[in-house]
Amino acid sequence: MIAAELFSAWLVAFLILCIFSFLYGDNPFYKAAEHLYVGVSAGYVAVISFWQQVQPNLFGRLWPSRIDVDDGSIFQSIWYTIYEIFNFISTGFGVLDRSIFPEGGIKGYDEIRMIYLIPFILGIFMLLRLVPKLSWMARWAIAYIVGMAAGLRFYGFLNSDILIQIKASTIDFSSDWWTIINSLILFIGTLTGLIYFFYSTEHKGVIGRLSRIGIYFLMIKFGASFGFAVMGRISLLIGQLNYLKDYSAAEYNYATPIILLFIIICLAIWSFMGKGGKNIESTA
Amino acid sequence: MKHIKKIFILLGSLDRRIIFLIVGLSVLIPLLKPDWVSLPIRPTPESQRVFDEINKLKQGDRVLLSFEYSPSTKPEIHPMAIALLKHMYAKNIKVYGFALWPDGNFMSTEAFSEVSDDYEKVYGLDYVNLGYKPGSEAVVKGIASDIRTLYTIDLHGTPINDIPMMENVINIKDFDFVFSLSAGFPGSKEWVQYATDPEQIPISTGCTSIQVTDILPYVENEQIRGILAGMPGAAEYESLVETELKKMNISAKPGTASGMMAAQSIAHVVIVLFIIFGNITYFITQKKKGKDKI
Repeated sequence: MIAAELFSAWLVAFLILCIFSFLYGDNPFYKAAEHLYVGVSAGYVAVISFWQQVQPNLFGRLWPSRIDVDDGSIFQSIWYTIYEIFNFISTGFGVLDRSIFPEGGIKGYDEIRMIYLIPFILGIFMLLRLVPKLSWMARWAIAYIVGMAAGLRFYGFLNSDILIQIKASTIDFSSDWWTIINSLILFIGTLTGLIYFFYSTEHKGVIGRLSRIGIYFLMIKFGASFGFAVMGRISLLIGQLNYLKDYSAAEYNYATPIILLFIIICLAIWSFMGKGGKNIESTA
Repeated sequence: MKHIKKIFILLGSLDRRIIFLIVGLSVLIPLLKPDWVSLPIRPTPESQRVFDEINKLKQGDRVLLSFEYSPSTKPEIHPMAIALLKHMYAKNIKVYGFALWPDGNFMSTEAFSEVSDDYEKVYGLDYVNLGYKPGSEAVVKGIASDIRTLYTIDLHGTPINDIPMMENVINIKDFDFVFSLSAGFPGSKEWVQYATDPEQIPISTGCTSIQVTDILPYVENEQIRGILAGMPGAAEYESLVETELKKMNISAKPGTASGMMAAQSIAHVVIVLFIIFGNITYFITQKKKGKDKI
Protein backbone atom coordinates (compact mmCIF):
# COMPACT_ATOMS: atom_id res chain seq x y z
CA MET A 1 0.00 0.00 0.00
CA ILE A 2 1.22 3.50 -0.86
CA ALA A 3 2.25 5.56 2.20
CA ALA A 4 -0.05 8.44 1.23
CA GLU A 5 -3.05 6.11 1.00
CA LEU A 6 -2.22 4.60 4.38
CA PHE A 7 -1.81 8.04 5.93
CA SER A 8 -5.14 9.26 4.51
CA ALA A 9 -6.89 6.12 5.85
CA TRP A 10 -5.51 6.75 9.35
CA LEU A 11 -6.45 10.43 9.12
CA VAL A 12 -10.02 9.62 7.97
CA ALA A 13 -10.46 7.02 10.73
CA PHE A 14 -9.08 9.45 13.33
CA LEU A 15 -11.36 12.33 12.26
CA ILE A 16 -14.49 10.12 12.11
CA LEU A 17 -13.78 8.78 15.60
CA CYS A 18 -13.05 12.32 16.86
CA ILE A 19 -16.51 13.42 15.70
CA PHE A 20 -18.15 10.28 17.12
CA SER A 21 -16.48 11.02 20.48
CA PHE A 22 -19.14 13.72 20.94
CA LEU A 23 -21.53 10.87 21.79
CA TYR A 24 -19.58 10.59 25.05
CA GLY A 25 -19.61 14.35 25.56
CA ASP A 26 -18.00 17.57 24.36
CA ASN A 27 -14.24 16.98 24.39
CA PRO A 28 -10.96 18.24 22.84
CA PHE A 29 -10.94 15.56 20.09
CA TYR A 30 -14.39 16.64 18.89
CA LYS A 31 -13.52 20.33 19.08
CA ALA A 32 -10.27 19.86 17.15
CA ALA A 33 -12.03 17.92 14.36
CA GLU A 34 -14.88 20.43 14.23
CA HIS A 35 -12.54 23.43 13.96
CA LEU A 36 -10.44 21.66 11.34
CA TYR A 37 -13.59 20.92 9.30
CA VAL A 38 -14.80 24.52 9.40
CA GLY A 39 -11.34 25.92 8.59
CA VAL A 40 -10.62 23.53 5.72
CA SER A 41 -14.12 24.03 4.24
CA ALA A 42 -13.81 27.83 4.35
CA GLY A 43 -10.33 27.72 2.82
CA TYR A 44 -11.37 25.31 0.09
CA VAL A 45 -14.45 27.34 -0.87
CA ALA A 46 -12.39 30.55 -1.00
CA VAL A 47 -9.71 29.01 -3.23
CA ILE A 48 -12.08 27.20 -5.57
CA SER A 49 -14.35 30.25 -5.91
CA PHE A 50 -11.36 32.36 -6.87
CA TRP A 51 -9.89 29.94 -9.42
CA GLN A 52 -13.20 28.78 -10.90
CA GLN A 53 -15.02 32.09 -10.98
CA VAL A 54 -13.05 35.26 -10.19
CA GLN A 55 -9.93 34.49 -12.21
CA PRO A 56 -11.41 33.05 -15.44
CA ASN A 57 -14.81 34.81 -15.48
CA LEU A 58 -14.02 38.25 -14.03
CA PHE A 59 -10.34 38.92 -14.75
CA GLY A 60 -10.65 36.83 -17.93
CA ARG A 61 -13.36 39.13 -19.26
CA LEU A 62 -11.60 42.33 -18.22
CA TRP A 63 -8.20 41.28 -19.54
CA PRO A 64 -8.65 38.58 -22.21
CA SER A 65 -5.65 37.25 -24.11
CA ARG A 66 -4.18 40.34 -25.84
CA ILE A 67 -3.50 38.45 -29.09
CA ASP A 68 -7.28 37.99 -29.53
CA VAL A 69 -8.24 41.63 -28.84
CA ASP A 70 -5.23 43.76 -29.80
CA ASP A 71 -6.20 46.85 -31.83
CA GLY A 72 -3.02 48.83 -31.05
CA SER A 73 -4.89 51.64 -29.29
CA ILE A 74 -3.43 53.70 -26.44
CA PHE A 75 -6.41 52.75 -24.28
CA GLN A 76 -5.47 49.08 -24.56
CA SER A 77 -1.84 49.78 -23.69
CA ILE A 78 -2.95 51.66 -20.54
CA TRP A 79 -5.50 48.94 -19.73
CA TYR A 80 -2.91 46.14 -19.94
CA THR A 81 -0.43 48.27 -17.94
CA ILE A 82 -2.99 48.18 -15.10
CA TYR A 83 -3.09 44.38 -15.62
CA GLU A 84 0.69 44.25 -15.20
CA ILE A 85 0.45 46.37 -12.03
CA PHE A 86 -2.05 43.87 -10.61
CA ASN A 87 0.30 41.07 -11.59
CA PHE A 88 3.22 42.84 -9.89
CA ILE A 89 1.21 43.13 -6.66
CA SER A 90 -0.17 39.57 -6.82
CA THR A 91 3.30 38.09 -7.28
CA GLY A 92 4.50 39.75 -4.06
CA PHE A 93 6.13 42.61 -5.99
CA GLY A 94 7.78 40.31 -8.48
CA VAL A 95 9.05 37.71 -5.99
CA LEU A 96 6.70 34.87 -7.00
CA ASP A 97 5.94 33.36 -10.43
CA ARG A 98 2.96 34.63 -12.44
CA SER A 99 -0.21 32.63 -11.74
CA ILE A 100 -3.33 34.79 -11.40
CA PHE A 101 -2.44 37.13 -14.26
CA PRO A 102 -0.66 35.12 -17.00
CA GLU A 103 1.60 36.76 -19.59
CA GLY A 104 -0.39 38.65 -22.26
CA GLY A 105 -3.85 38.22 -20.67
CA ILE A 106 -6.19 35.40 -19.70
CA LYS A 107 -7.39 32.95 -22.37
CA GLY A 108 -11.09 32.30 -22.87
CA TYR A 109 -12.73 35.47 -24.20
CA ASP A 110 -12.17 37.44 -27.40
CA GLU A 111 -13.21 40.94 -26.31
CA ILE A 112 -12.69 43.26 -23.36
CA ARG A 113 -15.98 43.59 -21.47
CA MET A 114 -15.80 46.80 -19.44
CA ILE A 115 -19.26 46.17 -17.94
CA TYR A 116 -17.55 43.65 -15.66
CA LEU A 117 -15.86 46.55 -13.88
CA ILE A 118 -19.16 46.89 -11.96
CA PRO A 119 -18.97 43.43 -10.28
CA PHE A 120 -15.22 43.98 -9.80
CA ILE A 121 -15.87 47.24 -7.91
CA LEU A 122 -18.77 45.70 -5.96
CA GLY A 123 -16.49 42.80 -5.01
CA ILE A 124 -13.89 45.25 -3.68
CA PHE A 125 -16.66 47.05 -1.75
CA MET A 126 -17.57 43.73 -0.16
CA LEU A 127 -14.00 43.24 1.03
CA LEU A 128 -14.02 46.76 2.51
CA ARG A 129 -16.20 45.35 5.27
CA LEU A 130 -12.91 44.40 6.87
CA VAL A 131 -11.94 48.11 7.08
CA PRO A 132 -14.14 49.64 9.83
CA LYS A 133 -14.11 53.19 8.39
CA LEU A 134 -15.15 52.05 4.92
CA SER A 135 -17.34 49.09 5.88
CA TRP A 136 -20.49 51.03 4.92
CA MET A 137 -19.52 50.58 1.25
CA ALA A 138 -20.18 46.82 1.59
CA ARG A 139 -23.87 47.64 1.91
CA TRP A 140 -24.01 48.55 -1.79
CA ALA A 141 -22.73 45.13 -2.78
CA ILE A 142 -25.06 43.42 -0.30
CA ALA A 143 -28.00 45.51 -1.59
CA TYR A 144 -27.23 44.36 -5.13
CA ILE A 145 -27.05 40.69 -4.07
CA VAL A 146 -30.28 40.90 -2.05
CA GLY A 147 -32.13 42.68 -4.86
CA MET A 148 -30.89 40.26 -7.50
CA ALA A 149 -31.71 37.20 -5.38
CA ALA A 150 -35.16 38.53 -4.46
CA GLY A 151 -36.05 39.18 -8.10
CA LEU A 152 -34.69 35.85 -9.26
CA ARG A 153 -36.41 33.86 -6.50
CA PHE A 154 -39.71 35.66 -6.91
CA TYR A 155 -39.88 34.48 -10.51
CA GLY A 156 -38.88 30.89 -9.66
CA PHE A 157 -41.27 30.53 -6.72
CA LEU A 158 -44.18 32.19 -8.47
CA ASN A 159 -44.02 29.81 -11.40
CA SER A 160 -42.95 26.46 -9.92
CA ASP A 161 -44.15 26.69 -6.32
CA ILE A 162 -47.33 28.76 -6.58
CA LEU A 163 -48.93 28.71 -10.04
CA ILE A 164 -48.12 25.11 -10.96
CA GLN A 165 -48.91 23.85 -7.42
CA ILE A 166 -52.29 25.65 -7.42
CA LYS A 167 -53.05 24.11 -10.78
CA ALA A 168 -52.14 20.67 -9.41
CA SER A 169 -54.42 21.03 -6.39
CA THR A 170 -57.54 21.39 -8.54
CA ILE A 171 -59.87 18.38 -8.67
CA ASP A 172 -60.49 16.69 -11.99
CA PHE A 173 -64.00 15.19 -11.60
CA SER A 174 -63.73 13.45 -14.96
CA SER A 175 -61.01 11.06 -13.72
CA ASP A 176 -61.46 7.78 -11.80
CA TRP A 177 -62.75 7.62 -8.20
CA TRP A 178 -59.37 6.89 -6.65
CA THR A 179 -57.82 9.99 -8.27
CA ILE A 180 -60.81 12.13 -7.21
CA ILE A 181 -60.47 10.96 -3.56
CA ASN A 182 -56.73 11.62 -3.66
CA SER A 183 -57.27 15.09 -5.14
CA LEU A 184 -59.94 15.84 -2.51
CA ILE A 185 -57.56 14.94 0.32
CA LEU A 186 -54.89 17.11 -1.29
CA PHE A 187 -57.36 19.99 -1.71
CA ILE A 188 -58.62 19.79 1.90
CA GLY A 189 -55.04 19.48 3.21
CA THR A 190 -53.88 22.51 1.23
CA LEU A 191 -56.86 24.66 2.18
CA THR A 192 -56.92 23.80 5.89
CA GLY A 193 -53.13 24.06 6.13
CA LEU A 194 -53.31 27.57 4.68
CA ILE A 195 -56.17 28.49 7.06
CA TYR A 196 -53.98 27.44 10.01
CA PHE A 197 -51.42 30.05 8.93
CA PHE A 198 -54.09 32.75 8.43
CA TYR A 199 -53.68 34.97 11.48
CA SER A 200 -55.88 37.93 10.48
CA THR A 201 -58.95 36.24 12.02
CA GLU A 202 -59.21 34.60 15.43
CA HIS A 203 -59.25 30.79 15.13
CA LYS A 204 -62.78 30.27 16.48
CA GLY A 205 -65.90 28.56 15.10
CA VAL A 206 -65.60 27.25 11.55
CA ILE A 207 -62.12 28.78 11.07
CA GLY A 208 -60.99 27.16 14.33
CA ARG A 209 -62.25 23.73 13.29
CA LEU A 210 -60.71 24.02 9.83
CA SER A 211 -57.36 25.15 11.24
CA ARG A 212 -57.50 22.14 13.62
CA ILE A 213 -57.84 19.86 10.57
CA GLY A 214 -54.91 21.79 9.08
CA ILE A 215 -52.83 20.94 12.17
CA TYR A 216 -53.45 17.22 11.60
CA PHE A 217 -52.23 17.51 8.00
CA LEU A 218 -49.17 19.45 9.16
CA MET A 219 -48.44 16.84 11.83
CA ILE A 220 -48.59 14.07 9.22
CA LYS A 221 -46.10 16.06 7.12
CA PHE A 222 -43.78 16.65 10.09
CA GLY A 223 -44.03 12.96 11.03
CA ALA A 224 -43.03 11.95 7.51
CA SER A 225 -40.18 14.49 7.55
CA PHE A 226 -38.98 13.15 10.90
CA GLY A 227 -39.06 9.58 9.60
CA PHE A 228 -37.05 10.53 6.54
CA ALA A 229 -34.63 12.56 8.70
CA VAL A 230 -33.98 9.51 10.88
CA MET A 231 -33.51 7.39 7.77
CA GLY A 232 -31.00 9.92 6.40
CA ARG A 233 -29.01 10.10 9.63
CA ILE A 234 -28.86 6.31 9.88
CA SER A 235 -27.62 6.17 6.26
CA LEU A 236 -24.82 8.57 7.13
CA LEU A 237 -23.95 6.54 10.23
CA ILE A 238 -23.83 3.39 8.08
CA GLY A 239 -21.53 5.16 5.62
CA GLN A 240 -19.08 6.26 8.30
CA LEU A 241 -19.14 2.88 10.08
CA ASN A 242 -18.46 1.26 6.72
CA TYR A 243 -15.30 3.37 6.38
CA LEU A 244 -14.25 2.42 9.90
CA LYS A 245 -14.87 -1.25 9.09
CA ASP A 246 -12.73 -1.01 5.94
CA TYR A 247 -9.91 0.77 7.78
CA SER A 248 -9.82 -1.82 10.54
CA ALA A 249 -8.33 -4.34 8.08
CA ALA A 250 -4.70 -5.53 8.22
CA GLU A 251 -3.85 -3.70 4.97
CA TYR A 252 -4.49 -0.41 6.78
CA ASN A 253 -2.45 -1.56 9.80
CA TYR A 254 -5.61 -1.85 11.94
CA ALA A 255 -6.16 1.92 11.89
CA THR A 256 -9.65 1.91 13.43
CA PRO A 257 -9.09 -0.27 16.55
CA ILE A 258 -5.75 1.39 17.36
CA ILE A 259 -7.15 4.93 17.06
CA LEU A 260 -10.31 3.96 18.93
CA LEU A 261 -8.23 2.59 21.79
CA PHE A 262 -6.05 5.71 21.79
CA ILE A 263 -9.09 8.03 21.94
CA ILE A 264 -10.75 5.96 24.70
CA ILE A 265 -7.56 6.02 26.83
CA CYS A 266 -7.12 9.78 26.28
CA LEU A 267 -10.78 10.49 27.13
CA ALA A 268 -10.54 8.31 30.24
CA ILE A 269 -7.44 10.18 31.43
CA TRP A 270 -9.08 13.51 30.58
CA SER A 271 -12.20 12.47 32.47
CA PHE A 272 -10.28 11.24 35.55
CA MET A 273 -8.41 14.53 35.62
CA GLY A 274 -11.84 16.10 36.17
CA LYS A 275 -11.88 18.16 33.00
CA GLY A 276 -14.60 16.19 31.27
CA GLY A 277 -17.35 16.23 33.88
CA LYS A 278 -18.66 19.73 33.20
CA ASN A 279 -18.69 19.35 29.40
CA ILE A 280 -20.42 15.96 29.53
CA GLU A 281 -23.17 17.32 31.77
CA SER A 282 -23.70 20.24 29.41
CA THR A 283 -24.30 17.91 26.44
CA ALA A 284 -26.34 15.27 28.30
CA MET B 1 -48.13 -6.26 35.35
CA LYS B 2 -46.08 -4.31 37.90
CA HIS B 3 -42.91 -5.98 36.65
CA ILE B 4 -43.70 -5.02 33.05
CA LYS B 5 -44.30 -1.43 34.14
CA LYS B 6 -40.99 -1.43 36.00
CA ILE B 7 -39.20 -2.72 32.88
CA PHE B 8 -40.72 0.07 30.78
CA ILE B 9 -39.81 2.72 33.36
CA LEU B 10 -36.26 1.32 33.38
CA LEU B 11 -36.13 1.43 29.58
CA GLY B 12 -37.37 5.01 29.62
CA SER B 13 -34.65 6.08 32.01
CA LEU B 14 -31.84 4.46 29.98
CA ASP B 15 -28.74 6.62 29.61
CA ARG B 16 -28.65 8.13 26.11
CA ARG B 17 -25.15 6.68 25.60
CA ILE B 18 -26.51 3.14 26.01
CA ILE B 19 -29.14 3.91 23.34
CA PHE B 20 -26.36 5.24 21.05
CA LEU B 21 -24.44 2.02 21.65
CA ILE B 22 -27.44 -0.20 20.85
CA VAL B 23 -28.21 1.77 17.65
CA GLY B 24 -24.50 1.65 16.73
CA LEU B 25 -24.39 -2.12 17.21
CA SER B 26 -27.61 -2.59 15.23
CA VAL B 27 -25.82 -0.89 12.32
CA LEU B 28 -22.40 -2.41 12.84
CA ILE B 29 -23.36 -6.08 13.19
CA PRO B 30 -25.12 -6.34 9.77
CA LEU B 31 -22.14 -4.55 8.21
CA LEU B 32 -19.65 -6.95 9.75
CA LYS B 33 -21.80 -10.04 9.13
CA PRO B 34 -23.82 -9.34 5.94
CA ASP B 35 -24.71 -13.06 5.61
CA TRP B 36 -26.71 -13.01 8.83
CA VAL B 37 -29.40 -10.72 7.43
CA SER B 38 -30.56 -10.80 3.83
CA LEU B 39 -33.53 -8.66 2.89
CA PRO B 40 -35.05 -8.35 -0.61
CA ILE B 41 -34.95 -5.00 -2.43
CA ARG B 42 -38.19 -4.10 -4.23
CA PRO B 43 -38.17 -0.92 -6.34
CA THR B 44 -40.82 1.69 -5.48
CA PRO B 45 -42.82 3.24 -8.37
CA GLU B 46 -40.74 6.45 -7.98
CA SER B 47 -37.41 4.63 -8.40
CA GLN B 48 -38.84 2.59 -11.27
CA ARG B 49 -39.93 5.84 -12.93
CA VAL B 50 -36.39 7.24 -12.72
CA PHE B 51 -35.01 4.04 -14.24
CA ASP B 52 -37.59 4.09 -17.05
CA GLU B 53 -36.86 7.73 -17.85
CA ILE B 54 -33.12 7.08 -18.17
CA ASN B 55 -33.69 3.80 -19.96
CA LYS B 56 -35.75 5.38 -22.71
CA LEU B 57 -32.98 7.84 -23.61
CA LYS B 58 -31.29 7.05 -26.90
CA GLN B 59 -27.62 6.57 -27.80
CA GLY B 60 -25.86 9.95 -28.09
CA ASP B 61 -28.48 11.82 -26.02
CA ARG B 62 -27.09 14.47 -23.71
CA VAL B 63 -27.67 14.30 -19.96
CA LEU B 64 -26.78 17.10 -17.56
CA LEU B 65 -25.68 15.44 -14.31
CA SER B 66 -25.47 17.89 -11.44
CA PHE B 67 -23.48 17.06 -8.30
CA GLU B 68 -24.97 18.89 -5.33
CA TYR B 69 -23.67 16.90 -2.41
CA SER B 70 -20.60 16.67 -0.26
CA PRO B 71 -18.69 13.96 1.65
CA SER B 72 -21.13 14.32 4.56
CA THR B 73 -24.01 12.98 2.43
CA LYS B 74 -21.87 10.69 0.27
CA PRO B 75 -23.21 7.38 1.68
CA GLU B 76 -26.71 8.27 0.46
CA ILE B 77 -26.06 9.96 -2.87
CA HIS B 78 -22.79 8.59 -4.22
CA PRO B 79 -24.13 5.06 -4.91
CA MET B 80 -26.85 6.73 -7.03
CA ALA B 81 -24.19 8.61 -9.03
CA ILE B 82 -22.26 5.39 -9.67
CA ALA B 83 -25.36 3.42 -10.69
CA LEU B 84 -26.53 6.27 -12.93
CA LEU B 85 -23.18 6.52 -14.69
CA LYS B 86 -23.13 2.74 -15.26
CA HIS B 87 -26.63 2.91 -16.71
CA MET B 88 -25.91 5.90 -18.95
CA TYR B 89 -22.51 4.64 -20.12
CA ALA B 90 -24.02 1.25 -20.99
CA LYS B 91 -26.54 3.08 -23.18
CA ASN B 92 -23.81 5.31 -24.71
CA ILE B 93 -25.39 8.50 -23.41
CA LYS B 94 -23.19 11.59 -23.24
CA VAL B 95 -22.78 12.86 -19.68
CA TYR B 96 -22.12 16.51 -18.77
CA GLY B 97 -21.07 16.90 -15.13
CA PHE B 98 -21.80 20.14 -13.27
CA ALA B 99 -21.51 21.01 -9.58
CA LEU B 100 -23.54 23.53 -7.60
CA TRP B 101 -21.64 22.71 -4.40
CA PRO B 102 -17.88 23.25 -4.01
CA ASP B 103 -17.41 19.70 -2.69
CA GLY B 104 -19.36 18.47 -5.71
CA ASN B 105 -16.05 18.67 -7.58
CA PHE B 106 -14.58 15.89 -5.43
CA MET B 107 -17.71 13.81 -5.76
CA SER B 108 -17.96 14.17 -9.55
CA THR B 109 -14.25 13.49 -10.06
CA GLU B 110 -14.46 10.36 -7.90
CA ALA B 111 -17.64 9.10 -9.59
CA PHE B 112 -16.33 9.64 -13.14
CA SER B 113 -12.94 8.05 -12.40
CA GLU B 114 -14.60 5.07 -10.69
CA VAL B 115 -16.81 4.14 -13.65
CA SER B 116 -15.49 5.69 -16.88
CA ASP B 117 -12.51 3.36 -17.44
CA ASP B 118 -14.62 0.21 -16.95
CA TYR B 119 -16.85 1.33 -19.83
CA GLU B 120 -13.92 2.64 -21.93
CA LYS B 121 -15.33 6.15 -21.99
CA VAL B 122 -13.13 9.00 -23.19
CA TYR B 123 -13.04 12.39 -21.52
CA GLY B 124 -14.26 15.13 -23.83
CA LEU B 125 -16.00 12.68 -26.16
CA ASP B 126 -18.26 10.66 -23.86
CA TYR B 127 -18.22 12.68 -20.68
CA VAL B 128 -17.08 16.04 -19.44
CA ASN B 129 -16.72 17.51 -15.97
CA LEU B 130 -17.35 21.26 -15.94
CA GLY B 131 -17.10 21.61 -12.18
CA TYR B 132 -18.33 24.09 -9.63
CA LYS B 133 -19.22 27.76 -10.00
CA PRO B 134 -20.30 29.87 -7.03
CA GLY B 135 -23.64 31.64 -7.30
CA SER B 136 -26.25 29.00 -6.36
CA GLU B 137 -29.49 29.63 -8.30
CA ALA B 138 -27.74 32.26 -10.46
CA VAL B 139 -25.55 29.44 -11.83
CA VAL B 140 -28.65 27.38 -12.69
CA LYS B 141 -30.14 30.42 -14.41
CA GLY B 142 -26.83 30.96 -16.23
CA ILE B 143 -26.76 27.35 -17.48
CA ALA B 144 -30.38 27.77 -18.58
CA SER B 145 -29.57 30.84 -20.68
CA ASP B 146 -25.92 30.51 -21.82
CA ILE B 147 -23.38 28.09 -20.37
CA ARG B 148 -20.45 30.07 -21.75
CA THR B 149 -21.27 33.15 -19.68
CA LEU B 150 -20.24 31.08 -16.65
CA TYR B 151 -18.03 28.31 -17.94
CA THR B 152 -14.99 29.18 -20.02
CA ILE B 153 -12.93 26.23 -18.77
CA ASP B 154 -13.73 22.77 -17.46
CA LEU B 155 -12.63 21.39 -14.08
CA HIS B 156 -9.15 20.60 -15.46
CA GLY B 157 -8.68 24.08 -16.93
CA THR B 158 -9.29 23.10 -20.57
CA PRO B 159 -11.15 25.83 -22.52
CA ILE B 160 -14.63 24.43 -23.14
CA ASN B 161 -14.48 25.49 -26.79
CA ASP B 162 -11.65 22.95 -27.20
CA ILE B 163 -13.79 20.09 -25.85
CA PRO B 164 -15.43 18.18 -28.76
CA MET B 165 -18.65 17.25 -26.92
CA MET B 166 -19.25 20.91 -25.98
CA GLU B 167 -19.79 21.76 -29.64
CA ASN B 168 -23.36 23.00 -30.24
CA VAL B 169 -24.07 22.96 -26.51
CA ILE B 170 -25.25 26.49 -25.74
CA ASN B 171 -27.73 26.19 -22.90
CA ILE B 172 -30.14 23.86 -21.08
CA LYS B 173 -32.26 23.43 -24.23
CA ASP B 174 -29.42 21.43 -25.77
CA PHE B 175 -29.78 18.70 -23.15
CA ASP B 176 -32.24 15.84 -23.41
CA PHE B 177 -32.43 15.22 -19.69
CA VAL B 178 -31.32 16.72 -16.39
CA PHE B 179 -30.45 14.65 -13.34
CA SER B 180 -29.90 16.35 -10.02
CA LEU B 181 -27.98 14.52 -7.28
CA SER B 182 -29.07 16.76 -4.48
CA ALA B 183 -28.38 17.09 -0.76
CA GLY B 184 -29.88 20.53 -0.14
CA PHE B 185 -29.61 24.10 -1.36
CA PRO B 186 -28.87 24.73 -4.18
CA GLY B 187 -30.24 21.52 -5.63
CA SER B 188 -33.22 19.87 -7.29
CA LYS B 189 -35.65 22.66 -6.36
CA GLU B 190 -33.48 25.29 -8.04
CA TRP B 191 -33.14 23.19 -11.19
CA VAL B 192 -36.94 22.93 -11.35
CA GLN B 193 -37.56 26.61 -10.61
CA TYR B 194 -34.95 28.21 -12.85
CA ALA B 195 -34.23 25.72 -15.61
CA THR B 196 -36.43 22.71 -16.25
CA ASP B 197 -39.86 24.24 -15.57
CA PRO B 198 -39.31 27.38 -17.69
CA GLU B 199 -37.56 25.48 -20.52
CA GLN B 200 -39.68 22.30 -20.30
CA ILE B 201 -36.71 19.92 -19.97
CA PRO B 202 -37.35 16.55 -18.25
CA ILE B 203 -35.64 16.16 -14.88
CA SER B 204 -35.27 13.40 -12.29
CA THR B 205 -33.61 13.56 -8.93
CA GLY B 206 -31.73 11.49 -6.42
CA CYS B 207 -31.78 13.19 -3.06
CA THR B 208 -31.08 12.71 0.62
CA SER B 209 -33.87 11.23 2.75
CA ILE B 210 -34.33 14.48 4.64
CA GLN B 211 -35.25 16.30 1.43
CA VAL B 212 -37.82 13.81 0.19
CA THR B 213 -40.94 15.43 1.68
CA ASP B 214 -39.93 18.79 0.17
CA ILE B 215 -39.34 17.32 -3.28
CA LEU B 216 -42.36 14.99 -3.45
CA PRO B 217 -44.87 17.75 -4.42
CA TYR B 218 -42.80 18.33 -7.58
CA VAL B 219 -42.76 14.57 -8.27
CA GLU B 220 -46.54 14.28 -7.78
CA ASN B 221 -46.94 17.19 -10.19
CA GLU B 222 -44.74 15.69 -12.90
CA GLN B 223 -42.35 18.65 -12.55
CA ILE B 224 -39.79 15.99 -11.53
CA ARG B 225 -39.99 12.56 -13.13
CA GLY B 226 -39.41 10.11 -10.31
CA ILE B 227 -37.19 10.34 -7.26
CA LEU B 228 -34.48 8.19 -5.71
CA ALA B 229 -35.12 8.68 -2.02
CA GLY B 230 -31.98 8.33 0.07
CA MET B 231 -30.07 5.10 0.50
CA PRO B 232 -33.10 2.84 -0.16
CA GLY B 233 -33.65 4.71 -3.46
CA ALA B 234 -30.00 4.16 -4.35
CA ALA B 235 -30.25 0.43 -3.54
CA GLU B 236 -33.42 0.09 -5.62
CA TYR B 237 -31.83 1.84 -8.60
CA GLU B 238 -28.68 -0.28 -8.24
CA SER B 239 -30.77 -3.47 -8.41
CA LEU B 240 -32.66 -2.20 -11.49
CA VAL B 241 -29.41 -1.25 -13.26
CA GLU B 242 -27.75 -4.57 -12.39
CA THR B 243 -30.70 -6.45 -13.94
CA GLU B 244 -30.54 -4.23 -17.03
CA LEU B 245 -26.77 -4.68 -17.41
CA LYS B 246 -27.17 -8.45 -17.16
CA LYS B 247 -29.73 -8.27 -19.97
CA MET B 248 -27.16 -6.31 -22.02
CA ASN B 249 -24.44 -8.90 -21.17
CA ILE B 250 -22.35 -6.29 -19.40
CA SER B 251 -20.56 -7.36 -16.24
CA ALA B 252 -20.44 -4.76 -13.50
CA LYS B 253 -19.25 -4.51 -9.92
CA PRO B 254 -22.14 -4.66 -7.43
CA GLY B 255 -23.24 -1.34 -5.93
CA THR B 256 -22.54 -0.36 -2.35
CA ALA B 257 -26.03 0.83 -1.28
CA SER B 258 -27.63 -2.62 -1.59
CA GLY B 259 -25.10 -4.07 0.87
CA MET B 260 -25.96 -1.42 3.45
CA MET B 261 -29.73 -1.85 3.34
CA ALA B 262 -29.80 -4.66 5.93
CA ALA B 263 -28.07 -2.37 8.44
CA GLN B 264 -30.53 0.40 7.59
CA SER B 265 -33.58 -1.82 8.05
CA ILE B 266 -32.42 -3.27 11.39
CA ALA B 267 -31.50 0.20 12.71
CA HIS B 268 -34.99 1.41 11.76
CA VAL B 269 -36.62 -1.47 13.68
CA VAL B 270 -34.48 -0.68 16.75
CA ILE B 271 -35.36 3.05 16.58
CA VAL B 272 -39.09 2.32 16.13
CA LEU B 273 -38.95 -0.02 19.17
CA PHE B 274 -37.27 2.70 21.22
CA ILE B 275 -39.94 5.23 20.14
CA ILE B 276 -42.70 2.78 21.18
CA PHE B 277 -40.99 2.02 24.51
CA GLY B 278 -40.39 5.72 25.11
CA ASN B 279 -44.06 6.53 24.55
CA ILE B 280 -45.31 3.69 26.77
CA THR B 281 -42.91 4.83 29.53
CA TYR B 282 -44.12 8.40 29.09
CA PHE B 283 -47.77 7.40 29.51
CA ILE B 284 -46.99 5.17 32.52
CA THR B 285 -45.03 7.92 34.29
CA GLN B 286 -47.68 10.56 33.47
CA LYS B 287 -50.40 8.29 34.89
CA LYS B 288 -48.30 7.66 38.00
CA LYS B 289 -47.72 11.42 38.45
CA GLY B 290 -51.49 12.01 38.16
CA LYS B 291 -52.21 9.37 40.83
CA ASP B 292 -49.53 10.81 43.15
CA LYS B 293 -51.12 14.28 42.87
CA ILE B 294 -54.54 12.94 43.89
